[in-house]
Amino acid sequence: MFALNGFFIAGAIVCALAVLLGIIATIIRRYPDDWALIATAGTEIFLIVYAVAAGIRQAGGEAILGESWEFWGYLLTAAIMPPIAFFWAVSDKSRWANTVLAVSGAITFVMLFRMEQIWHVGVVA
Amino acid sequence: MSEKPRNSRIVQAAQARGVDKAPRPGRTTGLGRIIIAVYGVLALSATVRALYQIFFRDFSEAPLAYLLSLLAGLVYILATFTLSSAKPGAWKLSLFAVSFELLGVLVVGLLSFVLPDHFGHDSVWSYFGKGYGYIPLVLPLIGLWWLFRNRNERHV
Repeated sequence: MFALNGFFIAGAIVCALAVLLGIIATIIRRYPDDWALIATAGTEIFLIVYAVAAGIRQAGGEAILGESWEFWGYLLTAAIMPPIAFFWAVSDKSRWANTVLAVSGAITFVMLFRMEQIWHVGVVA
Repeated sequence: MSEKPRNSRIVQAAQARGVDKAPRPGRTTGLGRIIIAVYGVLALSATVRALYQIFFRDFSEAPLAYLLSLLAGLVYILATFTLSSAKPGAWKLSLFAVSFELLGVLVVGLLSFVLPDHFGHDSVWSYFGKGYGYIPLVLPLIGLWWLFRNRNERHV
């Protein structure tokens, strides 16, 4: 585990919101819910802000304990997910589009957790 | 199939701009999309991990396990594409890919307990997919169930 910090807490809240709205929308909607879509777009915006901030922090000499190529690999993969989920949901038009959005939010959280591990703990597994 | 209500403003805006495509078979929509998405994630993680093991670790440590890992990843990639494809023959190819995954996780899972020296190394199939939350074991079963639920589309 790593010490809680502002980036992680903010990311966790954004992801939790996307997961929660995705699950609720799966239950109560038979079409993609606008708020679930917006929340998923929110996770992407968070990742972009996180990436810019990480770039500035690392360029400024802030130590990253793990491998930096691993960190950026995770970040790139994470950033690809929400757009896929978003456009998938828009073209699917069924109840399950909302579940896809919820899964995307959960994946983003797991990726963020791993990135924070790589940054603050270093090699884990 | 009954017409579903489409009350999402974002979806309506996308349709108005012509982003929306023609209707797809039921196999690739709704719940099927989620199954495809999970396959996609597994395909990516298994393949990247196998390549990492082969190129950045000592390959001679467990050549068989690492090559099986790579094979698993490549078949997951195949399954991801065939499951989401509406082309003729995609159903049958999906069946082969998903069955292969099930066979692989059962055989390698069993061998990792019997011959841990050769098969006990971390890979997508060892110990019945324990390192991946047993998803490699459960996913082919869900995949097969989903395929046979939508088997009438095999000639589409």
